[in-house]
Amino acid sequence: MRKILGSILSGIRTVERVLVISINLIMVALYTFNVLVREILPQYSSSFAWIDEATRLLMVWAVFLALGLALERGRHVAVTTLLEKLPKTPQKLVCLLINSTGIVFSCYLAWLGYALVKFVMRTGQVSPTLGLPMYWLYVAPTVGFMLLALRYGLELLNINNRHTRPILADPSN
Amino acid sequence: MTPVIILIALVMLVCGFEMLLVLGVPAFLTKAFLFPRIPDPVLIQKLVGGINFSTLLAIPFFIFAAELMASGQIAKRLTDLIKHFTAHRLGGIGHTTVVGSMAFGSVSGSAPATVAAMGKLMYPELRKTGFSEKFSLGLIVSSAETALLIPPSITLIIYGWMTGTSITGLFIGGLGVGITLGLAFCGLVIFESVRNGVGRGEKSTIPFLQTFNAASWALGLPIIILGGIYTGLFTPTEAAAVSVVYAIFVEAAIYKNLTLSKLIATTERAAISTTIIFILLAMGSVLSYFVTLAQVPVLITNFLTDIQAGPITFLIIVNIAFFIAGMFIDPNSALLILVPPLFPVALSMGIDPIHFGEIVCLNICIGMITPPFGLDIFVASSTLEKPVMSIIQGVWPFLFINILVLMLVTYVPGLATFLPGLLAP
Repeated sequence: MRKILGSILSGIRTVERVLVISINLIMVALYTFNVLVREILPQYSSSFAWIDEATRLLMVWAVFLALGLALERGRHVAVTTLLEKLPKTPQKLVCLLINSTGIVFSCYLAWLGYALVKFVMRTGQVSPTLGLPMYWLYVAPTVGFMLLALRYGLELLNINNRHTRPILADPSN
Repeated sequence: MTPVIILIALVMLVCGFEMLLVLGVPAFLTKAFLFPRIPDPVLIQKLVGGINFSTLLAIPFFIFAAELMASGQIAKRLTDLIKHFTAHRLGGIGHTTVVGSMAFGSVSGSAPATVAAMGKLMYPELRKTGFSEKFSLGLIVSSAETALLIPPSITLIIYGWMTGTSITGLFIGGLGVGITLGLAFCGLVIFESVRNGVGRGEKSTIPFLQTFNAASWALGLPIIILGGIYTGLFTPTEAAAVSVVYAIFVEAAIYKNLTLSKLIATTERAAISTTIIFILLAMGSVLSYFVTLAQVPVLITNFLTDIQAGPITFLIIVNIAFFIAGMFIDPNSALLILVPPLFPVALSMGIDPIHFGEIVCLNICIGMITPPFGLDIFVASSTLEKPVMSIIQGVWPFLFINILVLMLVTYVPGLATFLPGLLAP
């Protein structure tokens, strides 16, 4: 049972990583391509007007898809100086509180996202230049917060512990 | 109800809740208790709508470019070129560190990335020429601030996005303020060198042309970014995207320093750094929506009118508020919490939006090095493997200089507005 769960989890992680990395590279490529077309072949630039919208959509997806990964690696910003200095038992209690708040909040947001997706689907709104149904924009937070809830769940069940990982070890803002 | 929500937020902050919860949960409580008639899914709309902006696209691109340059050769070669001119002079390697950080800042918009890149390069050299450990650490951590002021700057992009101020204007204004800060640090380096007789390095034996050639491809980056933005060839976002492609090209094809697996690892690191900023921006835009609905700016304005405060008093209050916030929370959260209520007040007092932006940005810079929780202090501590306490001890003189520069920028608006004024008559 544990083994199956483990492989499901690492499967999810692989999908997240592949998607996040490729989306980021595609964003750069699309946007640069857009600039090049405008500077070199300006007569065609209007046929690529969809690129701006597509890149923004990809960015929103990239941001929400990496929410869970960021938590798992302890990368989300938090002021943990006091938490680290607490004695064992109160520290455990506070972590319990943080993780359960995290689960409830992300599940609530995922649920709200789902409600919004259903609503926008009914209106049949289509995006201005891409022609894509608008609800795809709101699927991103729905999926993202589900992934975040999953990671808070793993923390709660002590399968992963983000606080033992070096926070801020990465030199990026 | 409002005081209870603020109290909950503070308790969450102190207990070590993730900032996304510290910003997000109070926003949703405010909605539930103060504005129950707004339909719930509107919150998701604000959350996504808040970050669905072309302007903000510049942030993932600039972070990506900074990650590529920090782990590659570009930073080193630019620094070598600067060292050629500064190393053998009074306070030599100290100036190399300051100007090198400014040069790295002119291609990247992130102070922590600058600490990481310059720290590894310059710390051993600073120590070799006799600077004390305390001074060297303080200098590296503080010089990196200039990266946030000298364009491109992630902080200024976020400020422009929140307030609708022209990002190009903010970038140009940041140049003046960044150079002022850099000069002030150079002054401190000279003072330290004279006092302790340290800092003069050896004159480089490598001919100038060779150093210049080694750096020539790296020099293309500031030209693309700054030149492209100022001539209007690129928007800041476009310049950011082009700089990523250029950095990949130079590191991989010219310097032969970037393999595919390294590119993938860098992309992933940059992507996660982007996410942790953007989820705060998203939560922050929900929060600022309620700040506006609850008419917080009006309350502040009324309060200031009651105590008969003019712009000068107001700006002192702004500086103090940011200083206190910078001691405890990360720079982006401070920006997201304080700018929405304060910006409308600044406007109503007749303060120039670009001037106010530079003041805010300089405050954010100071917050990065303010003990106990300055972000850059922790980054330096982990990249240089030095205890946090010895960095904090080195930071004090720089913090003092910083506050002097802040006063100067606050009360001499020309430092921030002169250059943008030239461009837009």
